[in-house]
Amino acid sequence: MSFSPLALIAEITHRCPLHCVYCSNPMQLAATQSELSTEQWASVFGQSGKLGMLHAHFTGGEPLARADLAELIAAAHKAGLYTNLITSGIGLNDARLKTLVDAGLDHIQISFQDSREDSANWIAGAKSHAHKIELARAVRRYKVAFTVNLVVHRQNLDRLEEMIAFIERLDPERVEIAHTQYYGWALANRAALMPTHAQLEKAVAIVAEAEKRFAGRIRIDSVVPDYYAKYPKACMGGWGRKLMLVNPAGKVLPCHAAEVLPGLSFENVREKSLEWIWRESASFRRFRGEDWMPEPCRSCERRSEDFGGCRCQAFLLVGDATATDPACSLAPQHHLVESAVGEANSEASVAQPTAASSFVQLQKQTGDLWTYRTNPE
Amino acid sequence: MAPPLDSSQPRLAAGCRWAPSTTGADENRMILFPEGAIKLQGTGRQVLERCDGQRTFGEIIAELQKEFGQTDPEKIRADISTFLEQLQKKRIVDY
Repeated sequence: MSFSPLALIAEITHRCPLHCVYCSNPMQLAATQSELSTEQWASVFGQSGKLGMLHAHFTGGEPLARADLAELIAAAHKAGLYTNLITSGIGLNDARLKTLVDAGLDHIQISFQDSREDSANWIAGAKSHAHKIELARAVRRYKVAFTVNLVVHRQNLDRLEEMIAFIERLDPERVEIAHTQYYGWALANRAALMPTHAQLEKAVAIVAEAEKRFAGRIRIDSVVPDYYAKYPKACMGGWGRKLMLVNPAGKVLPCHAAEVLPGLSFENVREKSLEWIWRESASFRRFRGEDWMPEPCRSCERRSEDFGGCRCQAFLLVGDATATDPACSLAPQHHLVESAVGEANSEASVAQPTAASSFVQLQKQTGDLWTYRTNPE
Repeated sequence: MAPPLDSSQPRLAAGCRWAPSTTGADENRMILFPEGAIKLQGTGRQVLERCDGQRTFGEIIAELQKEFGQTDPEKIRADISTFLEQLQKKRIVDY
């Protein structure tokens, strides 16, 4: 393979204190006992640095659930990687934050589920919102880049303006407005999460206005959900082209969802080197190049831009990992996405709960609405 | 956000840093920041290497005007100002 990977996604655990309904972890979570050791992760980072990777993204589950996180960050930093921590913030106080920054943490990205406490806790399935606010204040005392990650969907998009104003007061350098993608738990809960046309149109206008207002102070990154787009996303920058993900048990994947694909055998860092896996393994080679593409992708002028979209989404919705991602308007199976969007916009679709005094009340009102993410054994 | 003043002291923003230098050809250097990296070479690199939070914008311009004696000094000033403004918008540089 003539190009090197740019970034390592270190999915260090599937343990998490929250139960967010939009979680994109696989529904089959890696058992705690299967997790790699500190030394095994240090070896992964060392190899990543030698392979020329620039970034390490610490994620999970909740990466803070690993007691050795500071050592892991130090190992990645030593290997020359820029370190990003993608976290809910639960498990982090000022003292622990200091140890992580001292260990070499470059960037922390904290998720927020909503601007209002009851709704935020309802989406996360746990009392987490107040702690996140406190943590955001603590972060500003340290020399580390700070991004707020706001996951948006049907249940909170009506408050987008309010949520952006709320985030502005937290004073991050960057905001990611992340429309939910449908993998893992999010796919199971798709009907409750899919926004309406009206919500999306309004969101685009609100974000454009906020970008102007924030120019030079806060950078906004936002992506339109692919179900509503004309063409599919270039998922992960292409299969095996830019990123490698190592899961808690050491399995090496081209993305967080790939284990759903049948007929593929993924390698493990306990057995093979990252370099060999990147360059030689059948799994990483499977969807590189264009030979695997069916029509219309094979002769499409966009094929080198979006690579026919997401293989995992093609499998999850169509049952065939080689199919054109049905999010693409040119896909033979585009009707699968169209009908999900249609349902979201129909009168019979999911109603939103009325205001309640606490998130427990909201949960009681909406018992059948969705499935909360569980924890691994 | 306005362009830098002569008295501004440009520096890399919090969480933005140079990639550790690798062996071999050092003409390119990378700056790493949240979710990204940019490759810098030539003048871009020379400008950013001087954005140490100590040197003023005026001093940086003067150094580079001396270095590139053949080029119109006003063009150097305008180009560097635009360059830094773009990086400021991306939150890579502060001044």
